[in-house]
Amino acid sequence: MPPPPSLSRRALLGSALGLGAYGLSGCAGLTERVSSTSRGSRDTLTFQTYGTDVEGNIYDVLARRFEEQNRGVTVDVTVVPFAEASTGIDAGLVSGTAPDIFRVDYPTMGVYASTGQLLDLEDSLDELAGDSSKAFMDAVTDRGRVFGIPQHVDTSALVYRPDVLRDAGITSVPDRPEDAWSWEEFAQVAATLRDAAPAGSSAFAVNWQALGAFRWLNFLFQAGGHVYDEDRTRSLLTSASATRALDFTKSFFDEGLVPQTSSTKAATYPDALFTSGSLAMLYAGNFLLPSFADTIKDRFEYAVTYLPRDRRRASELGGNALVATKGATNPELASEFLTFMAAPAQMKDFCEASVLLPTRDSLLSQELDFAVAADLMPVYADQVTTIEPRDVADVTTATFAEVNLSLANELETCFLSGRGTADTLQALAEQVDESAYLNRQDAS
Amino acid sequence: MTIEKTALAPGQEAPGEQATTPGTAPRSRLRDNRSAYSLLAPNLLLIGLFLLVPLVWSLLMAFQAKRSFGLGEWSGLTNLSRLLSDDVFWRALLNTAIFTVATVPLSVGLGLALALLMDKALPGRGVFRTIVYLPIAVSSLVVSLVGLLLFDESIGILNGVLRDLGVGPVAWQSNGALAMLSVVVMTLWTRVGFGMLVYLAALQDVDSEVLEAATMDGAGGLDRIRHVVVPWLRPTTFFLVVINMIWSFQVFDVVYVMTNGGPGYSTTMLVTYAYDEGFGPSRNFGYGATVGLVLLVITLAITAVQLRVNRRQEA
Repeated sequence: MPPPPSLSRRALLGSALGLGAYGLSGCAGLTERVSSTSRGSRDTLTFQTYGTDVEGNIYDVLARRFEEQNRGVTVDVTVVPFAEASTGIDAGLVSGTAPDIFRVDYPTMGVYASTGQLLDLEDSLDELAGDSSKAFMDAVTDRGRVFGIPQHVDTSALVYRPDVLRDAGITSVPDRPEDAWSWEEFAQVAATLRDAAPAGSSAFAVNWQALGAFRWLNFLFQAGGHVYDEDRTRSLLTSASATRALDFTKSFFDEGLVPQTSSTKAATYPDALFTSGSLAMLYAGNFLLPSFADTIKDRFEYAVTYLPRDRRRASELGGNALVATKGATNPELASEFLTFMAAPAQMKDFCEASVLLPTRDSLLSQELDFAVAADLMPVYADQVTTIEPRDVADVTTATFAEVNLSLANELETCFLSGRGTADTLQALAEQVDESAYLNRQDAS
Repeated sequence: MTIEKTALAPGQEAPGEQATTPGTAPRSRLRDNRSAYSLLAPNLLLIGLFLLVPLVWSLLMAFQAKRSFGLGEWSGLTNLSRLLSDDVFWRALLNTAIFTVATVPLSVGLGLALALLMDKALPGRGVFRTIVYLPIAVSSLVVSLVGLLLFDESIGILNGVLRDLGVGPVAWQSNGALAMLSVVVMTLWTRVGFGMLVYLAALQDVDSEVLEAATMDGAGGLDRIRHVVVPWLRPTTFFLVVINMIWSFQVFDVVYVMTNGGPGYSTTMLVTYAYDEGFGPSRNFGYGATVGLVLLVITLAITAVQLRVNRRQEA
């Protein structure tokens, strides 16, 4: 009888290690996060973005166009979920593997610009600066240096259902900016809609959930208030304007005008409620119009009017910039790509396909051929003109990301847990003051 | 110094000396040790790299003003002093304690009840065991999304059913206590199956003769469970209590997906708070690490107390 095959310890260990390595390599596909980042090379640019399928597709088209114009150059476009984008970029910047180019929203950009993570683009964007409003260029500027291109802007307006308003006896909706409802008029309309709404429906909802908490500032600005003083080192959140803004927005919940689940920390967004037909009105950004067209189809009619006004008209600076990392392997190529993306032809194609507003004055004054909802876009284009440089300065500080989180937490405590206006504003002011030390460093 | 040898019976050899010749024992032990360490090395390496290094690193960060980028600055006890005066931290600690008190006894108790039920010769018990155990096999993220689908206040299944029954919608998301209840319910759904499975295995070791003797002495079904089965299962119960407490203190995904810590701070837990501070928009690594450190200390303290209590009971 032949002896049983023997397996030496060394062979056993080798096999185990081999199997382990094989197993781990097999798991790589399962465990690799989509937001993992990598640097480019001399002839390759890596570009991380997020957004809808339409936005991903048009970015890809524009990247191929850049490759055609620059033979031998490759642009690798990676689309990641919005919620993961910042985490991936942060990790990439710390570990030196950040993509050469990435997309970033204006309120988050301050963190990267103020800490020296971004490529200085000052000289290559003079032409763009000459064709864009100061507010938009300010959004990508830190201590006088330009760190990105304001690729597009989006903002909110009031989407409504004419059929529901008609049924409730509301026959007149503002169709000119100067006729925008005052807060008092809007509250009256909302109360009428609430009284006429069937069970399970509400008058309206506001789009201030999660990272959109800063949209509460629309009300603050409309009331004439601001987050910071002129040099952005001290909070102004205990002002009479802030009190008026918070009293007004708190009344939405106290008087049952909005769903209780549409607060600033809600786990879901209220646009699903609008498309399902259980809201008469919705504060909504223009970037939602493609999904509205897709999901509502012809189930019901919807239109857009101007945001209600108080002491002034105001609207938030939404939208995104494209930036290059300071450690990009080929900074000249990265800079060229950003200049290319900021050129009128690319900006126009991107905005038309994605139903977003351009930042160039020359394009804003044109009638763009938006893929959907072109008839609704003039209202949004008008809303954008209400954004003032000081509003932009408030939301692009190095510490605004923290302020945004504080807004989400503290506002919800006020809206749903019954805390008073004064206590809430005091808590917010303290947190803003506490996180403003980087702004003080900026100023010094 | 003299070494006394243990007296051995005639023909008996000392352990470890059985197959060795004089002079080869140390080399053999060395070889054995080397083999043991080489087998342990991958695990030790992983534990060192992914557990101990980050642990020490976060300990250091707790004493620094450290943001995403650049080097941190030593800030002494600033983070700790901020923590002690931070109302949100205390609220998160209280919430975590409430969540733990609600989930641990129920997870263990329901697990035992189900195990006792499934241990009987029920028709189709294999199917029932699988159904109860299934949530363990499902990703906790999926469970959380199922929870969101069930408890969503506006379009959730539960409120839809309640509305049809004429009971009216329940404020699962806008009422703090009910939001906590929804998180507890979904957590129990995922944990009860594990408790049941561990108890089922332990029940196989319960001495049937002791049970028979108890029956002969006139003990009823409940008496047998109370006075024989439960004491017999004490080590298993201890294990389940410790593991469930640790899980409860680490709760994250269910809260993050279902309530995002709200309404207000009603369901904010220590881990979600540490995450928000460290990896959320504020990117305050130093403060996030401080909250995490407190979590570690609390978990260690609870485990130490439980070990001590258990050892005393066994003694």
